[in-house]
Amino acid sequence: MNDTVLIMTGKTILSYKGPFYIELISVFGTNIRNFNDSFSNARKKLFKIFIELSQNVSNYSEDFHMVNNVQRIGVGELTLKETDASYVFTTRNQVKDKDASILAERCELVNASDQLKLRDLKREQRLNSPGEKFGARIGLIQAVMLSKNKLEYHIDQINEKFSYFSLTVKVDKN
Amino acid sequence: MENIALTSSPTTPYFPEVNFDVNKGTCEISGESYMEETYKFYLPLINWIKDFTNNIKRPIELNIKLIYLNTSSTKCVLDMLEILKDYEDEGGKVKVKWYYDKSDPDMVDEVEDFEAESGIKIELIEFEQ
Repeated sequence: MNDTVLIMTGKTILSYKGPFYIELISVFGTNIRNFNDSFSNARKKLFKIFIELSQNVSNYSEDFHMVNNVQRIGVGELTLKETDASYVFTTRNQVKDKDASILAERCELVNASDQLKLRDLKREQRLNSPGEKFGARIGLIQAVMLSKNKLEYHIDQINEKFSYFSLTVKVDKN
Repeated sequence: MENIALTSSPTTPYFPEVNFDVNKGTCEISGESYMEETYKFYLPLINWIKDFTNNIKRPIELNIKLIYLNTSSTKCVLDMLEILKDYEDEGGKVKVKWYYDKSDPDMVDEVEDFEAESGIKIELIEFEQ
């Protein structure tokens, strides 16, 4: 509830809706890292979380563009807000209904784990990931390990097949 | 077997600079790594290390100076470290050095995880950005 209030009252630094091209993600990320000289540690963490969660949208959104009929670029939304004490980053994208519940379970597992358990989970999942197009499958774990705050997620059902999945991570400035 | 030399560009900062040198037996990766289709980028590098350790069989040194790598890239780096660990276990001479920005405390944890997951010793070296 408090975080919801934070999101509503924070100053918007960045807001975007559309395809998550790497060129855009990179420019946004670089600006996030360099937009001022304050809270450099927090902004370094924010940059890493920003890239990771944005690439999840790019790779997995069920709403996507095809580039040259080969490359799939996910479509979604992102919002970055700043409050006195933190940065609050949210992504939102379409997922299959069945994937929404899997993602929710993953968020719950990550939120229920302390830092030591998260580190074990990260090592285990990275070692066991099939690799190639699946990556390391540790983006959510990494986001919580870096921010030391729990993930907030929300599912809005669109129809019997698809939902919007939104994910928020708060990065404290100090 | 050929060298691999890829230069980085300010317009594509998500690709690292790469220098793999057969004669020197050195593999250097620096900059940042968060491209799309990560595995496609790293596969030739992974295959180069496999080829070197299977056929050239001389001492090999991996030097990593990545300021940031996304989690997909960490999986590929782990693949390289595992190949080097197998080579070392078979008697090959391997050195791995990781240069890290001392103002980024999270990178040291990351390197410790790589050591634990691959079983290979990684020398940590500080640098100032």
